[in-house]
Amino acid sequence: MNTSLRRDRQDLLRAGLGHALNLGLPLLFVVIPILSFVVVSFWTLQDGQILLIPTLANYRTFFTDGSYLPVYLQTVGLSLQVTLVNVALSTAIALFIFRRTPRMRFLILMSFMLPLFMSYIIKVYSIRSILGQRGLLNEAMLGLGLIDQPIEALLFSRTAIFIALAVLYLPYAILPMYLALDRIPANYLAASADLGATPIQTLRDVVLPLGRPGIAAGAVFTFILTFGDFVTPQMVGGTQGFTFGRIVFSQFGLALNWPLGSALAVILLATTLLAVALAGLSLRREHVR
Amino acid sequence: MQPLLHLNNVSKRYGAVRVLDGIDITVADNEFLTILGPSGSGKTTILRIIGGFEGIDGGSLMFEGRDLSAVPINRRPFNTVFQDYALFHHMTVAENVGYGLKVRGRPKAEIAKRVAEVLDTVGLGTLGGRYPAQMSGGQRQRVALARAIICEPRLILLDEPLSALDVELRAQMQRFLKSLQRRLGIAFVFITHDQEEAIALSDRIIVVNRGRIEQEGAPEELYRRPRTPFTASFLGDNNLIPGTLAAVDGRLCTVDTAAGLLDATVDGPAPATGSAVLVAVRPEHVRLDADPAAPHGLSAEVADVRFLGANVMIELLNPALPGAVIKVRRLADGSVAGLRPGASVRLRWAADDAALLQMAP
Repeated sequence: MNTSLRRDRQDLLRAGLGHALNLGLPLLFVVIPILSFVVVSFWTLQDGQILLIPTLANYRTFFTDGSYLPVYLQTVGLSLQVTLVNVALSTAIALFIFRRTPRMRFLILMSFMLPLFMSYIIKVYSIRSILGQRGLLNEAMLGLGLIDQPIEALLFSRTAIFIALAVLYLPYAILPMYLALDRIPANYLAASADLGATPIQTLRDVVLPLGRPGIAAGAVFTFILTFGDFVTPQMVGGTQGFTFGRIVFSQFGLALNWPLGSALAVILLATTLLAVALAGLSLRREHVR
Repeated sequence: MQPLLHLNNVSKRYGAVRVLDGIDITVADNEFLTILGPSGSGKTTILRIIGGFEGIDGGSLMFEGRDLSAVPINRRPFNTVFQDYALFHHMTVAENVGYGLKVRGRPKAEIAKRVAEVLDTVGLGTLGGRYPAQMSGGQRQRVALARAIICEPRLILLDEPLSALDVELRAQMQRFLKSLQRRLGIAFVFITHDQEEAIALSDRIIVVNRGRIEQEGAPEELYRRPRTPFTASFLGDNNLIPGTLAAVDGRLCTVDTAAGLLDATVDGPAPATGSAVLVAVRPEHVRLDADPAAPHGLSAEVADVRFLGANVMIELLNPALPGAVIKVRRLADGSVAGLRPGASVRLRWAADDAALLQMAP
């Protein structure tokens, strides 16, 4: 009797602890850190001091001060461009891998994923060494006689940022796209051909529709990573590389305006959440088996 | 008459493994043909070759006299019902069924009309708007059939389509398949490892084993008159008693076995006397004679009597045939009511019910 009561209490304790962890871990590691800067974004900065006076002034600054909104919109535009190009590239590459033999698939996929195992700084510098004034690209074009003198604009331009971001985040788009294709049952392709579909028709009606979750995931990854990146634009864009991420970064650094920085970070977060929501909406429920 | 489909001396190997060896198959118009074999026999490879999913290493594949070996899958004039149906889960039932017409560029109105007709044919009239995931196994099976017949092929291929269904549904789908085949008047090439299913459905069965054709014929013929040990034991139960051929008199053969002389009949030319043979006799064709000294037949001792409802299965042993359990199936009537293990009986059968099999060379 006594032992069973104790066991009951133990079970209850264990269940309670389980629930506490289920809720507590995300709370501790995700929600609280996010909430903390949401809270800071409503505080006031006066004479370099953060005062706990609630205000909407930080958000007002974003919309009214002429320097933030244009950069925000430019960055959205840049991120959308990178996303678009990466979705197209990753779809083509994933399809290419998908059509190899199973053994080759793994090898090719791994080689495309190799950059994920490298430090960010190495990748950025290797891009710089390719695009630089005495870089690989300029030297090659000089050698081929395509140009008379090195093109300076290759590096430290908006195009450079665009190329660097696209290259950096391509693996994040390829992987989900390939995984989506990999989940298509092999006999769907056989069935489609059996019913008379040409390879192009099978691609249009079976492969791409079933690859949509992968496309959506790849697009979201690319957009979020591109939109928040503040190092790459600086490293390869120079003064041209003034993106929204760098503005947020500078508020916490040079400007020491944490409340404004937090408000801008909230706007960054809201934008990425919107991207996730849009990607989710684009998937019809039936596609998710 | 020219056959609809003709596989002529087809062989296929995967690396060093020969999976098909000299396969000859003809399919006639309107025929329900079953290719029956255990797993690994090559039956699925035969279907994949016909469907165009595999090439051949030797021989030819002709459809109405036209060589198909260079024709790609999507241009072959027949359709397949896949083992797990392979319904596109992102398309509705109507989209799945209409897909064959869509890729042929038919107008939407025509597709909608034909889809409705075909769904009616398979008894799914109102379910076109559903997704495959919202349907039962039997319904999906019907969708797969509808999708395969909508382009009015002269022949459809079915790859063990009933193996995923439970017993009751399977029996129902068997009746449905048979009646559908008769109504449509198209040839069905049906692959299965289930001999009961093959017997119940087919006009003709081709038994395949280890990449070769063992025997082909109507179900009753194969069941009653197997010619190889494999066919005899793969289709239903059989008692196989080894011996040497002692004498031949027309069809009637006398076989000398360790347990005495036994009668059997042979189809076609008889093997030479003295060669090793088997006598195959079905459990239900063996009669029990209570008098152990009666002439002809085989004496044996009852080892076990199992009551199966309508039937009893009696297992018997003969000391001269070590290791061989002789099985006898009888109606569970008064004649076997008193039978107990240990009883001595005489086993007899009509010579016409016992087939003489040549041992594999």
